[in-house]
Amino acid sequence: MPLLYLQILANGLVLGGLYACIASGFSLVWGVQNVINILHGSFIVLGAYLAYFAYLQAGIHPFLSILIAIPVFYAIGYGLQRMMINRIIAAPVLLTLTLTFGLDLMLQNGMILAFTADFKKLVLDPPLGTIALGEMVLPVDRLAAMVLALALTAMLYLILSRSRIGRAIVAVRMDREAAALMGVNVPRIYAITFGLGVMMAGASGPLLAMIFPISPLGGPAYLGKAFVICVLGGLGSVPGAMVGGLVLGVVESFGALWFGPEHAITLSFTLLILMLLLRPHGLLGRKGYE
Amino acid sequence: MIKKLSLGAALVAGALAAGTAAAQEMIRIGAPLPITGPLSPEAKKQQRGYDLWAETANKAGGVKVGGKRIKVEIVYVDYQSNTPRAVQAAEKLITQDKVNFLFSPFGSGATKAASSVSEKYQVPTVAATASSAQVYDQGYKYLFGTFTPNDTLTEPLADIVGREAAGVRRVAILARNDLFPLAIAQEMEKSAKKRGLNVVYFEKYAIGTLDHASALSQIKSLSPHWIFATGYTNDLILLRKQMADQRIEAPVVTMIAAPAYQDWIDGTGKLSQNVTSAAWWHPAVRYKGKDVFGSTENYVKLFRAAYGALPDYAEASASAAGAMLQLAIEKAGSIERTKVRDALSAMNEMTFWGPVKFGPNGQITSLEPPVFQIQNGKPTVIHPKAIRQGELQLGVSN
Repeated sequence: MPLLYLQILANGLVLGGLYACIASGFSLVWGVQNVINILHGSFIVLGAYLAYFAYLQAGIHPFLSILIAIPVFYAIGYGLQRMMINRIIAAPVLLTLTLTFGLDLMLQNGMILAFTADFKKLVLDPPLGTIALGEMVLPVDRLAAMVLALALTAMLYLILSRSRIGRAIVAVRMDREAAALMGVNVPRIYAITFGLGVMMAGASGPLLAMIFPISPLGGPAYLGKAFVICVLGGLGSVPGAMVGGLVLGVVESFGALWFGPEHAITLSFTLLILMLLLRPHGLLGRKGYE
Repeated sequence: MIKKLSLGAALVAGALAAGTAAAQEMIRIGAPLPITGPLSPEAKKQQRGYDLWAETANKAGGVKVGGKRIKVEIVYVDYQSNTPRAVQAAEKLITQDKVNFLFSPFGSGATKAASSVSEKYQVPTVAATASSAQVYDQGYKYLFGTFTPNDTLTEPLADIVGREAAGVRRVAILARNDLFPLAIAQEMEKSAKKRGLNVVYFEKYAIGTLDHASALSQIKSLSPHWIFATGYTNDLILLRKQMADQRIEAPVVTMIAAPAYQDWIDGTGKLSQNVTSAAWWHPAVRYKGKDVFGSTENYVKLFRAAYGALPDYAEASASAAGAMLQLAIEKAGSIERTKVRDALSAMNEMTFWGPVKFGPNGQITSLEPPVFQIQNGKPTVIHPKAIRQGELQLGVSN
């Protein structure tokens, strides 16, 4: 029995790594720009398609596809913010939400037209396989996702805390007007932030392509998780997305064991409501940014 | 005013249509389908099946009625994946569009709801996607279904495994908490218990579940001999992958309904090896029929030519619904509803879908759903005997 618990804990942690991957960019954009980017889930799916076709047609390993995805998705995000979202960024949050919701519908339907609604799956040959630790088994692809999530989180953390751009992003988050007065080019900072957020979505796509079936309408499922993780971890807090992801993964895993797999999702949303009631700024978030 | 005008116009048109019936006669079949909304992929399958039948019948000149041939037309109405609207759509098709016959809406629930309308107006109705016994136990005389009850899928499976895998004692069942996947899992539980097998695990997972690791760890700790999982393509690709993630192996692994689809086989790759499944029909079955398609092989060929893909059982069932209706009309020699109803009720014919004979409740009884196993990336029929292509292989590993 203790072995089962250990395995469930390990399952939860590697699942949490995936969740952190899914949520980190979403959290950054929401926290810094107060934009709820409904497109986030579909960008993950687009990244997954990129890896799928790169592997199928050119034999490019999904790990390498991540390197392709990073500049491509950064550019998409930067351009999108510059050309569209910047126009209504000062409007109430509902407007940006509506805009990204509309764009998401277009992206989803575009993907149905381009890739059909059939489920696809990137099947690696040979597969990455599993590692056994005693009786416990861990899948390599999920471990890799966890490492990537950690690496991206660390990178983002360093950018935000050490670079000039990072300081500017933080300054804009704290007080947009004051930052503008200090000479910070706010629209540009927003575009960079949004670019980083979309980049994280696109970069996690290839990893998720090895794990989940790919469907043009798969985005909302990822988005739902991202919401819960952000509220758990704290909005805009980079390590918060990591912690929120891990907590959610472990809670869902033990929830499935104790209450049955049909209640794992219910449990995660119960947790969301409890957090909103008791600690609305999240585990690692700072008061005032919720 | 406009409404009145169009009503008047319709009346005039109706009178005219009656007058020129000989020149413009058509057999019109109403098909309420969830063309938009969450069930839209299913509606698309149904449409492909119906359209292929209508095209094939019309290409042959139409349906033989007495001495002449009459073309068919399918009238679609979108009920937006909303069951109450499906009932309204059926009523509209009968009363306003004046269709001769009806195909049921999608799934057991909507079929049952709409069947009261077609019964009221005495319109022969063929259901292409309803398997639940509760649809057919209403004492209705005008409803006919192409799917046998759910236990006709699990019973032969349990028989074969009992016969050919002597060591199988412990069964673990994991079901998607959804109408059909759950119903089939419950039938499996009954079939297993009936044979003295020990059901060590029975759990449901929610629609939209992204992770099965916990359930699988638990299943692994119980070391079952037979793992039975239900769900759709995406669920079961993920589930099979996560079984490999935890190095779970078993003599028998059955999954319903995903392995009937090529998507699933492509999506699992080598992990599909030796997974068993059952469905009401499979493109690998071989029947020679008296219907417009002639044989299963010819049906599959026509379908491929039209859509560039293999038909699955839902698509074939829709085509079969049309083919059965056509056989009944030709037998009755008339499109009079009661005569066609009687011909359906008395039908005993071979078709590309399999033998067709309906029970007194209208549900097909003659069909023996195939049990198949994925062997080297190809579905291989292992039951029934008449169309068997291979033997059950034991051992599903990673």
